[in-house]
Parts: sequence; structure tokens; C-alpha cells
Amino acid sequence: MTTASPALRPVRNERDRKHRSPLQRWYRNHEAWVLGASGVIGFLLLWELGSRSGVVDQFFFSKPTDIASAAVREVQLARFWNDVKVSVWEFVTGYTLAVITAIPLGLIIGWYRRLSYMIDPWLNLFNSLPRIALIPLLVLWVGLGVESKIAVVFLGAFFSIIIPTVQGVRTVDRRLLDVAKSFGASQRLTFTSVVGPATVPFITTGLRLGIGRALIGVIVGEIYAQTSGLGVLIVRANENIQPDRMFFGVLIFTFSGILGVAALRRVEHYFDRWRPVSEER
Amino acid sequence: MAAQTTTSGLAPSEQQAKRRHPQPPRMRRSIKNEPLVFGIIGFVVVLIAWEAAIDLGMARASLLSSPTRIWSAAVTDFGNGALWPHIATSLLEWTVGFALAIVVGIPLGLILGTFRRIGMIVDPLLSALYATPTVALVPLIILLFGIGIGAKFAVVFLEALVTLTVSTITGVKSADPRHLETARSFGASRWLAFTSVTLPSSVPFIVTGLRIGAGRALVGVIVAEFIAANVGIGFYISLNGNLLNASRVMLGVLLVGAFGVFVGIVIGRIQRYFDRWRPAIR
Amino acid sequence: MTEQALALRATGVRMEYRDPATRERLTAIERMDIEIPEGEFVSIVGPSGCGKSTFLKIVNGLLPATEGEIEIKHSKGGSDHAMVFQDSSLFPWYSVQRNVAYGLACRGVKRKEAFARALPFIKLVGLEGFESKYPYQLSGGMQQRANLARALTVDPELLLMDEPFAALDAQTRELMQVELIRIWSEAQKTVLFITHQIDEAIFLSDRVIVMSARPGRILADITIELPRPRDLDIKRTPRFVEYEEQIWRLISKQLSVGPEAAA
Ligand SMILES: Nc1ncnc2c1ncn2[C@@H]1O[C@H](COP(=O)(O)OP(=O)(O)OP(=O)(O)O)[C@@H](O)[C@H]1O
Ligand SMILES: [Mg+2]
Repeated sequence: MTTASPALRPVRNERDRKHRSPLQRWYRNHEAWVLGASGVIGFLLLWELGSRSGVVDQFFFSKPTDIASAAVREVQLARFWNDVKVSVWEFVTGYTLAVITAIPLGLIIGWYRRLSYMIDPWLNLFNSLPRIALIPLLVLWVGLGVESKIAVVFLGAFFSIIIPTVQGVRTVDRRLLDVAKSFGASQRLTFTSVVGPATVPFITTGLRLGIGRALIGVIVGEIYAQTSGLGVLIVRANENIQPDRMFFGVLIFTFSGILGVAALRRVEHYFDRWRPVSEER
Repeated sequence: MAAQTTTSGLAPSEQQAKRRHPQPPRMRRSIKNEPLVFGIIGFVVVLIAWEAAIDLGMARASLLSSPTRIWSAAVTDFGNGALWPHIATSLLEWTVGFALAIVVGIPLGLILGTFRRIGMIVDPLLSALYATPTVALVPLIILLFGIGIGAKFAVVFLEALVTLTVSTITGVKSADPRHLETARSFGASRWLAFTSVTLPSSVPFIVTGLRIGAGRALVGVIVAEFIAANVGIGFYISLNGNLLNASRVMLGVLLVGAFGVFVGIVIGRIQRYFDRWRPAIR
Repeated sequence: MTEQALALRATGVRMEYRDPATRERLTAIERMDIEIPEGEFVSIVGPSGCGKSTFLKIVNGLLPATEGEIEIKHSKGGSDHAMVFQDSSLFPWYSVQRNVAYGLACRGVKRKEAFARALPFIKLVGLEGFESKYPYQLSGGMQQRANLARALTVDPELLLMDEPFAALDAQTRELMQVELIRIWSEAQKTVLFITHQIDEAIFLSDRVIVMSARPGRILADITIELPRPRDLDIKRTPRFVEYEEQIWRLISKQLSVGPEAAA
């Protein structure tokens, strides 16, 4: 019965890891990290060596070491910190205003079905239109100063937040609303116990999108009306053909974006404690 | 839904109150196609209020313009043909740049999503690029390509590319491992598994990428034309902003918005076409 | 006629749904008249779509009936009625304890007190030790226990249950039936219970009401004269099987000649 038949082949089990060395196992567990780091380092090396050997045009693209030294120079300048202060102020004010208006408004609009139908076309129009196209108008209304940038940051974030919020309220699970109603929950309790928690993931999505839009608002606003701020730093550096300074300015925005999104992930995580943890990662 | 409470005895033996649910005749009027009807109401109400606010002197027409003023600006500028070159140029920039981004971005995303190791290598770089507001690079691109239309193509391409690639990768990775296992257990080749499982399940993500990418491409058009151009709808807007002509600025903005809405509708159609096998929500 | 006090009386309840788009009317319930004395366990069985859930929603005040009247005994301390919904009606973002305390929170009880008052009911349904877990960390049967506890905490006169065990596997289901009988006899509630399982209805109830296919009306009102306390073995006794066959015959006739089948 158990004689080997030539037609039978052993099944290869890909998960069979017993005969791997510890180093291989360590690599397996940290593969994404190792490969990612080597990707970044490789990219920087290629850029640096390419610039030094003339394959990459330093005139436009600078090189990593130059950017680093430009960064060191910049952070010692009072003007730089003034630019940072202005940009941060624009971002924080505009974004905060957007958050405190868009979330309550979105909850209200989403809750009253007919109201939401009435406002839909306007939301759709403003969402489909790059808010930075409104900058000339905003400048016309409030001038070239910091107010016009706050306004464009506000508009950028506002619609990114309000639209998913409305969406979230509208898609609340009917059964859970029935539960609240059947226990005689007050309107307020229905909101805090059902509508709020169910909408949180939508709101955080909006907040995350809003960060990107707000940052774009800061840059474009400052490029359009060049008073001061990091956007102005970028334009000036570019005009003076100082690509190292320019890239430094751009990188500040990159890291702000990454940090902002990471911070929001924390918030999201806190609110999502009740969700089953997904298997991956 | 206030419940009435009456105290007539339900059972005479015991002192108790009975509660009635009110039974109103069900007369709530229902309107056919509520979203459309109320949408139109909302639209018209705002327009009338806007016009009235200007006519009653509650706001200055020079700043806020008004629907009729925008309309007459449209009639003038379309009538004498002044707007057409701007519209045509911007459309061309958007179309070419976005098409290039699709041709490059989606295959790139499919490759990076399918080949795990390559994906891992570029992941941090791509995330950084994704987090970067690429409009910050527009001045550099204009420096590189000059103020002609080539620079606009490049800007639009770059703006849309990252979004498209990232959402395609997400789509590929979202393919249900159970479906992939099914395909493999039937002995499907790698290619067949890709076309029968990975591709269909990443379509919704790709379409979402198209939607967001189209919007970012439009941002690219406008920003590039703000910074350096002598034709294009972004140029038209900023020029009239400098001339303090609120009506024309609003007209330009509205044209951009209308185009955005139109693109949104088209992509919605595409989405519905590809999603026809999915159970409808509600 | 009866001396006993009533917990529920439904007279001439009729229900029509209207499609908001086409304005077509659909009669879900033709006429329902029911009287339930206090403390009784009554089940409703009937073909799918005959209006059972609709009736329960009307009793629960979630839907206004087109015609007719519902009278419910007014509770002195607790709620008049509470509903045990089908699966996944727990708030996924609340812990078990907070879910169970929800009904009390709706009545304005402070969080701390509500949590304390929820505890004995969590114990009653056998969920001790799971107070701080989230619903996704419970099995289907445990979720239904929590659901039941949530309804019991408000001390309702009338407990409404809409196919509470439908999503459970056969074994868990039988266990839950036994549990429900135990809890019912301890808590002394009037229960109106909806199910598709004929044996479940007979096993649990004092009376089984059989409904016709849509538009729903009462076909039969059968008193189950099986001794209590009952255990699962009773399901194999001849009397039990007789009831089963009687009810099955009523329903199967509906299935073959009902208006649904004709259409
Ligand atoms: N919200 C609603 N709007 C319109 N029609 C409805 C609605 N809810 C139920 N119906 C219709 O009313 C009828 C009765 O529905 P109901 O849910 O009460 O049936 P049921 O007896 O509970 O069925 P099942 O045993 O399958 O749960 C069905 O024909 C259904 O299509
Ligand atoms: Mg039902």
C-alpha cells in the first residue's frame, strides 16, 4: 500500500522555514524595513554621486550634501524662523477654523436629509474646483496679507472635512439608530452614542485629506501673494538659482505632511479601539 | 413621535396606565426624486439671495459680483471669443498631462504592487513624495522647462502621477488572498491570477486614483498658469484678479468648477460600469 | 373574560407600506388582534415576509401603524417594553458593559450607576469577565446574550424579541433556548418572541401564534400545554411532535397556495 509511486511528487510547502539560519529569519521579519532603508540610501547615493560626476545637473538639482549644509545655514537665520512662523500661523489658524466649523456643520447637514440635498450641489461644486483657483478672489477681498492665505487654507481643509462627514452621517447603520430609538434615547444621546462614533472614521479621513489640501493652500497662497513664509522662501531660492535652499524648503513641507498624517493616525487609532485589529502588520 | 399616555384601565383588576402609539394617517407627502428637487431649490435660493444682497446694497458688487453680472461677463467674453484660447489651452494642458500620468502611473503601480520586493524598496520614497505638496516643485519645473506649454504638461503629469501610482498599488495589495489562493489552487498561472483576480479587485482603487488625480491635475494647471503663463484659464483668473474684476474672476472659477464637476460625473460613470457586479449599497 | 391582567393588547392593527418613489402601497399586515396576559411567553411564527418584524416594530413604537391600536401595560419603575434585535445590533464602539447599560443611559441614569446596575444582568446572561470587551471580541452567541442583557436592564414589562437566535448555529441555539427559559423564569417578564423555527417556538412558549403569508393575519393561536420546567428532551416527546406537525401543516399550506407563490 505504501510503495512509492513515480507519479507522486512531494508537495513543496512554502511556509516551511525550519531550515533557515537566524540571519535569514531576521531578514525575513525585517524585510520591508531593510529594503526600504536601502532604497532611501541608494537614492541619496545615486543623487550625490550623479551630481558629483555631472550626470545630474547640479545647477537645477543640487545634491544631498549641499541641501544638508543649506539647511544648517538656514536655521541660523532669523528670517528663516520668521518664514516658518508665518507659514505655521497660516496653517494652524486656517486648519483649526476649518475643523471647528466643518465637523459640526457636516453632522447637521448629514442628519437632515433634505437640507443635505439642498446643499449637495454647492458642496459638489466647491469640492470639484481647486480651491487655490479662488486665491485671486480672496486677495481681492482681504488683501495680500496673511488673511488671504488663512482663507485659502481654510477653504482647502473645510471642504475636505465636511464632505466625508456628511457622507458618514448619511450612512449610519439604520439598525443601530433603531436600537437607540427603541430605548427612547434623546436626540443628543442618539448623536453621541450612534451618529458620532459611526462617523469618526469618515471625519478622520477628511482631516487627513485636509492636511494635504491645507499645505497646498499655504504654498500656493504664498507663491501668489509673495509677502513672507516658506512658500516665498522656495520661490526666492528658485529665482536666485539656489536649488539646495529650494529643496530644503520643499522638504520642510514633506516632513510636515508626514508628521501631520502620523499624528492623525494616532487620533484615529484611539477612536478605533473598538474595531477588530486587522491581521496584516 | 411623542407617545400618548392614557389612563383608562387595560385590565380593570389593576390600576394601570395604557400607552397608545399615536396612529396618524400616513400623510407625509413624498416627493419624487427628492435629491434633484431639493438640490435645485438649494441652488436657486442661494443665487437669488446673492443677487438680492447686491441689489439691496448689503454687499458691494465690485467685490462680490452677482449672478447677473457674472452672466453678462460670460456673454461678453464668450461672444467676442476672448475666452476660447484660455479654455482650449488649459484643456490641452490638462488632457495631455493627465493622459501621460495615466499611461505611466497605472502600469507603474501595477508593477510596484505585484513585485513585493521592488515595492518595498521604493515604498518610503514614494510615501515621502506622496506627502509632499508637489505644487512646491512648480517653480523648479518652470525653471527647467521654461514658460511654454511643455512645463505645464510636466506639472500636470507630476501632480497626477503620484496619486495614481499610490492608489493602484493599494488596489493591487487589496486583492483578497482567498481569491488568489483559489486561483492558485486551480493551477492558474501567475499572469492568469493577475488578470482574473488582482486586476478586477484593484479597479475601484484605480478609479478612486483617477478621481483624485484628475482634481490634482486641475490644481497643477491653475498653479502653473498663475506662476508663469500668458494664456489659460488660470492666467485669465489671476489677470482679472489684478484688474480687480470680480465678475470675470468668478466666471473663470465657475468654468473650472464646472469642468471639475463634469469630470467627476464621467468618472462616476466609469466607476459604476466597473462596479456593476458589486451589490448596490442600500 | 380572563381574570388576569394584560401586558399587551393589539386591536385591528393594519399596516401598509408606501413606496416613496412609485407611491405604490403594499399591505404588510392585514389585521392583527392579540392579547397577551402578564408573564406569558408568546411566539409568532409565519412565512417569511408576512409582517412579523413589522408588527414587532409597531409594538415597539418604531413604526406607526396605518390603522389600529396598541395598548401596553405601563411600567412603574422600568420601561414599558424593550427589544432584543437580531444580530449585530450592539454598538461596536462600546464595551459589553456600556452596551448593556445603554438603555439606562437613555433614561438619564448616570454612567457610574448605570454600569453598576448592568452588572447583575451581565452575570445573569453568563457574561461575567467580559464586561470590558468589545463586541467583535465575542462569539455570536455571546453577542446575543449581551443583547438580551441590554434589554433586561431597563426592567421592561414586555420583552420583544425578533429572531434573536437566527444567526446562531444549531447547538448554540439550543443552549440559548434553555438559557432564555431560565432567564425568563427568573426575571418574570412577558415575552413576545418571533422565530422561524417551529420547535423553538413550541419549546419556549405558552402560546404560539401562526400567521398567514402576506398580507399577514392570524391563522391560529395555539396554546402549548407542555409542563414546565422544560428541558431539551421534551422536543422528542410525542406531544411536542404533534404540535410541530400541526403548526407545520398550517404554514406549509401557506407556502404552497399563498399569494407569494401565485405571483
Ligand atoms: N421599510 C419598508 N418599506 C417597505 N416595505 C417594507 C419595509 N419593511 C418591510 N416591508 C415589506 O413588508 C413585508 C413584511 O416585512 P417584514 O419584515 O415584517 O416580514 P417578516 O415577517 O419579518 O419576514 P422575515 O421572516 O423574513 O423576517 C415584506 O413584504 C416587506 O417587503
Ligand atoms: Mg423579520
